[in-house]
Amino acid sequence: MIQHIDVHAVLQESVSGIYTDLVTRPTGRVVRECIERAMATSAGDGAVARIDFTRVGCIDYSCADEIVAKLLRSRPGVLVLTGISDGHREAIEPVLAGHRLAVLIERPDGTLEAVGGPDAAAALLEELVVRRLAVRAPGGTFTLT
Amino acid sequence: MTRLVEVPSQFDDRSFDQFASAFAEATKDGERLLFDAHAAEWASPYGLVGLLAAGQAARGAGGGSGGGGGGGGSAERPLLTAPTHADVLTYWTRAGFFREAADLFEIHGKVPRVKAADGSDVLLPVTPVRAAEDVHTVVSNIQQRASAILASELGLDPKATMGFAMALSEACQNIVEHAGTGGWVAVQAYHWRRKLAKRVVVIAVADAGVGFRHSLEPTQSKRFGARWGDAAALEAALIQGVSRFRDPGRGQGLAGIRRYLARWDGKIAIRSGTARIAIVPKWDDDVPLKDGLPAFPGAQVLIIIPEQGSTKP
Repeated sequence: MIQHIDVHAVLQESVSGIYTDLVTRPTGRVVRECIERAMATSAGDGAVARIDFTRVGCIDYSCADEIVAKLLRSRPGVLVLTGISDGHREAIEPVLAGHRLAVLIERPDGTLEAVGGPDAAAALLEELVVRRLAVRAPGGTFTLT
Repeated sequence: MTRLVEVPSQFDDRSFDQFASAFAEATKDGERLLFDAHAAEWASPYGLVGLLAAGQAARGAGGGSGGGGGGGGSAERPLLTAPTHADVLTYWTRAGFFREAADLFEIHGKVPRVKAADGSDVLLPVTPVRAAEDVHTVVSNIQQRASAILASELGLDPKATMGFAMALSEACQNIVEHAGTGGWVAVQAYHWRRKLAKRVVVIAVADAGVGFRHSLEPTQSKRFGARWGDAAALEAALIQGVSRFRDPGRGQGLAGIRRYLARWDGKIAIRSGTARIAIVPKWDDDVPLKDGLPAFPGAQVLIIIPEQGSTKP
């Protein structure tokens, strides 16, 4: 089973019902801790969690680090980011590359892309296929199984 | 006795050292300060937030809208003579300067009743930044206004708006995380005739807090040895992405701002203590690193994003 986490809802419930932007370290920390708690109550290690950024406005580098990078470092399971805009990606990608980490982004058509450090991204896709969590389509794209 | 600090008639980042020199001289004996801006003809957002930082420092730990000061001066409010030119007064008011200055200074002169940000050029009036929540407010307020300006007037890709908000957020967070006090931010678009003959968007952030050297000293001073000082601290922060926190994810903010500015041919300059560092684009002739400047408390950040297209000086 794939767990679905709505980041906008987490932000509104945990930090502010007004703001839609993921900015500042304290905000990122609170949102990450909420996500971690939600994930802890779900399936065990190795599970897939779909983290949905739809309706999230701006995400800054501090929040990208505090949420995405730290979740990747602390969580042994597989994270799939959805609802990612070009602006979100602009913050997330360099932060992960700096850590030599990678995360999966699920495009609207369901195909997967690994972004972050190039080596980590390639290894992540490889691992997903080996674990049968994703399959390689004829066109070279990847989708979740 | 009252010590006079003259506000330059054209008050921007270029004349700031002249202001800082007068400020450093006047604060030597702890007397009450009089900031004389009566002859001011123009002030950039950098000048306005810098003047507030000076007021914050002069007021010392007495408080004010920017929080506790870092200058250790007299607790008595410093004096400020407002500009006498009506247009200048109106602009300073519209830019939100007097709304913040009222808590810091005893103001002499008639301040007009004009709503702050009542014009298209003021994207964000002078706004206090004291806590993470203030950064949320700043980012939330800027996006709609900045989007139109960045895309239609500066010719930036509409996607650049979010990067702009990110850069602004990180610049403001520097105050919250490192200054040890509050500060101010202002964002404005204007036609920069002197340098570029183009429109620019300028972000100015200032505080009178502990500054970069003090913030980084516990973790960095040994590494730099005898070279350690304001210039080395700025170099560590802006060029090397060093943070006072040992968390490996720290230092992302200034690095992110640099990436954004490199993409849009922008400029960043940071002044702290007695030094100033800048990432200088081709269209500018600023000096990358200056040391031995007149001491001024805290940190003052200037970010300039020019209209896209040819940016030959």
